[in-house]
Amino acid sequence: MKVYIYKVFERFWHWTQVTLIIILAITGFEIHGYYELFGYREAVMIHDRTAWAFLILIVFAIFWHFTTGEWKQYIPTLKLVKEQINYYITGIFSGAEHPTNKLVYNKFNPLQRIIYLGLKVLVIPVMVISGFAYMYFNYPNETYQLGSLDLVAAIHTFGAFFLIVFIIAHVYLTTTGHKPLSSIKAMITGWEEMDEKEAREMIVSEMEYSLQETKRNFLSEKDSSDFLDKALEETEEKIGVKKENKFRDVIANSGAGYFKIGADGLFVEVNRAWVNLYKYESCDEIIGEHYSLSRSERAITQLDETIAKVMKGETVEHGLVIRKCKDGSVGYHTITMTPWKQDEKIVGVEGFILDVDSSQAAKMEWENN
Amino acid sequence: MKRKLFVVLVLVVSQFAVAMLVMQLNPTLEQDQSEEIDVVNYIMKADQIDRMVADHSKFEILQQEFETPQAVTLACLSCHTERHHEIMANNHWTWDRNEKLALRDSVVSVGKKNILNNFCIGINGSEKTCSRCHIGYGWEDKSFDFTDKGNIDCLVCHDQSGTYKKAKGKAGYPEEGLDLNLISQSVGSPKRENCGICHYWGGGGNNVKHGDLDEAMNSCSREVDVHMAIDGEDMSCIACHTTENHVITGKVYALSSEDKNRVTCVQCHTETPHTDKLLNQHFERIACQTCHIPEYAKANATKMVWDWSTAGRLDAEGNTIHESDADGNHNYLSIKGTFVYDDHVKPEYFWFNGLADHLLITDSIESIPVQINTLEGSYNDKGKDCATESCSKIWPIKVHRGKQPYDVVSKKLVQPKLWSPNKGDSAYWTDFDWDNSIEAGMKYTGLPYSGEYDFVETEMYWPLNHQVAPAENSLTCTSCHSSSPDSRLANLNGFYLPGRDRFAMIDYLGIILILLTLGGVAIHGGIRVILRKNCLHDKK
Ligand code: HEM
Repeated sequence: MKVYIYKVFERFWHWTQVTLIIILAITGFEIHGYYELFGYREAVMIHDRTAWAFLILIVFAIFWHFTTGEWKQYIPTLKLVKEQINYYITGIFSGAEHPTNKLVYNKFNPLQRIIYLGLKVLVIPVMVISGFAYMYFNYPNETYQLGSLDLVAAIHTFGAFFLIVFIIAHVYLTTTGHKPLSSIKAMITGWEEMDEKEAREMIVSEMEYSLQETKRNFLSEKDSSDFLDKALEETEEKIGVKKENKFRDVIANSGAGYFKIGADGLFVEVNRAWVNLYKYESCDEIIGEHYSLSRSERAITQLDETIAKVMKGETVEHGLVIRKCKDGSVGYHTITMTPWKQDEKIVGVEGFILDVDSSQAAKMEWENN
Repeated sequence: MKRKLFVVLVLVVSQFAVAMLVMQLNPTLEQDQSEEIDVVNYIMKADQIDRMVADHSKFEILQQEFETPQAVTLACLSCHTERHHEIMANNHWTWDRNEKLALRDSVVSVGKKNILNNFCIGINGSEKTCSRCHIGYGWEDKSFDFTDKGNIDCLVCHDQSGTYKKAKGKAGYPEEGLDLNLISQSVGSPKRENCGICHYWGGGGNNVKHGDLDEAMNSCSREVDVHMAIDGEDMSCIACHTTENHVITGKVYALSSEDKNRVTCVQCHTETPHTDKLLNQHFERIACQTCHIPEYAKANATKMVWDWSTAGRLDAEGNTIHESDADGNHNYLSIKGTFVYDDHVKPEYFWFNGLADHLLITDSIESIPVQINTLEGSYNDKGKDCATESCSKIWPIKVHRGKQPYDVVSKKLVQPKLWSPNKGDSAYWTDFDWDNSIEAGMKYTGLPYSGEYDFVETEMYWPLNHQVAPAENSLTCTSCHSSSPDSRLANLNGFYLPGRDRFAMIDYLGIILILLTLGGVAIHGGIRVILRKNCLHDKK
């Protein structure tokens, strides 16, 4: 299935950067003396103009990254780097799963994060600075001058080689997506094809955001039973999952469970997904039961505390918890719990649980650490 | 599907637009290469008005029967009453000037009278023949009276009849039997022929010395010299070497060192003559001449090598020998030794800041080849913020290589006496005896000579200024910016020149990294293809 992950500007920026860097590389290496293509003079003129275009693009891109918060995509992390490397070295050959997922708010795997950040804060600035130094301080001038172009040229040339190396590796790695061309198609159309599982996880995490948002809007209203529908709609719109992909089915399978517990600690309402997650047969088995059946003895105090907090009016979000299913097995989910109010009085708690698979759990763990 | 196509189209179109923009594929943006060039301080030929202000044929004083050339001079001075003061202060008269040489503290006497070169070496002891190019009459030896205004030769510069001619070996006197009335009544501003008679013929033959000053330039094509081209601006020497009160701008670097009173391209072309900023920028460190004089000696060959050490060989009958190369240029003369001539010569390139040092006859030789005139300058010499002429620039130079006599004991160049009208007068050109001629020359100069001589290699540097080529023939980027051994600047090291220079280490490293990456991709991808059935993507 397909998910929309690259915005219009992002794609424009990416491909323009591709065009410009290729032109810079072709003319740069002509200037370097490797071949004759445009003619030296033309090559220099093109290189200079392209450099300016590149600079302008960079300014726009910086602006975009900061105004959209996309810069956060590049915050480096060492978590799962090893797994990612292992995946490329061994896992990929045996058909293992990607250790990291593409999520709208986490488009890049940890290796990509580090390398793209390196490009952005090191290689490209070095190229731009050495390039403009090359352009403007090549002759002595009253205030600033370089003793010689040696150093600048050395840095600039090495950077150019590095960029070529990067482009080769980068292009190759785009073939490691869902299908060999799906990453490239994604960068063209914005829609990335993912396998069901990856897509589902992405949707779930995106949904969590939407749910929280929606809930904030609905918090004051007395009838909040259609949270889920609203949230689903919004999510659908926001992440642009295609209608024909039976989004609702996906969500149902994804396991967003809803629950409502009264002040006495007894379940008032659960939805089908909740029942499924806990491996019960029907809602009837749960309604009227105490919430303590949902946890192991060790974990119950945590839930007690959470419910106590929410009963006092707090909203608790995103805790990663281990549930106890009917058959005694365990599962992971996140939980979002808010007070259930009637006539301005708190009469219980309600919330959503979202199933988390093990790799997602691992990710959550390190994010919490 | 439609949507996809649309997206792809938008992307392709936008990238195409970006590429167009930076590469300026749009033909209308092409820079126009207009033929018209803007100059300042110069009136183009088409706009010049040539008006005679005085017709000398109408002056009675010039109708007289002139007994001597001096009588003509006095006639001139009877109207131009104070001009002789100007002339007598001029280097063309004194052949002497006091200058502060680069890197020397004290002022020294240079000028043709004092300095040695690696052509005919020096005038001392041979004035009577050398002074054929002196603007005076009678400079035979040290007794010449530089204060006698009657000895000024006005005609050599001002004759416009084309018939005035100085005699050989006659101390600057004209040939017998000239029509001095015709000549004196023809006078006018000096034309190329007037300047050229000495400046083309320096070193004893046409174009021998400079390489860019050739008799052919009296009427040449644009290819030889854009300024002087007969079918072009047809400029005279003094169009650039502007002159007021007989002070002629421009000095020969080979004889003069201080960087003043030069003639520059900038005086007409400004510092930003190109429409292309990048080219104008080059002016900061590259002399105009470097690109615009891609070769010299374009019409006639110039002398590149003069080896005195082989001189003196005579034929069986004891007569002097003349041998010529295939092009008809001398390559051996008994009186002078062996020569190498060349035409269409590519200059050599040096950093030069307009200052030169000179090897004085009293200076000891410190290195071989001996530099007769050392051009000052280096890449790191950036002058005063490059705002002045004293910033070193890359200059095209004619290097004249010589081998000439020196005193083995004192390690100094020597001045042989070369010329005499008579045999047995110690002059080398008549007697072919180095010992005697050096001894006589040094004695005349008032300097010691140990009695032991040998020959030493010398180099003399002639910055090129003339024979500027049409724009379409000037150097192009890759004439210099190229790693080929043919790069004009292949030998001018000590600075990084894009396109010429590379760091082998970085290139190797870069190429190895690229190959490793390609190899890695091939192996990794290969394994993936082979194990395709295991791969995630194809597992249903
Ligand atoms: C904004 C960024 C850049 C600027 C301002 C810039 C500027 C320059 C300048 C001024 C030169 C010297 C030649 C000339 O006068 O044009 C040069 C050379 C060169 N550039 Fe760039 N450049 C930039 C980016 C790049 C990129 C991205 C690449 C390659 C992928 C590249 C590759 C080269 C190479 C290989 C040379 C020749 C170096 C040498 O041989 O010394 N440049 N660049």
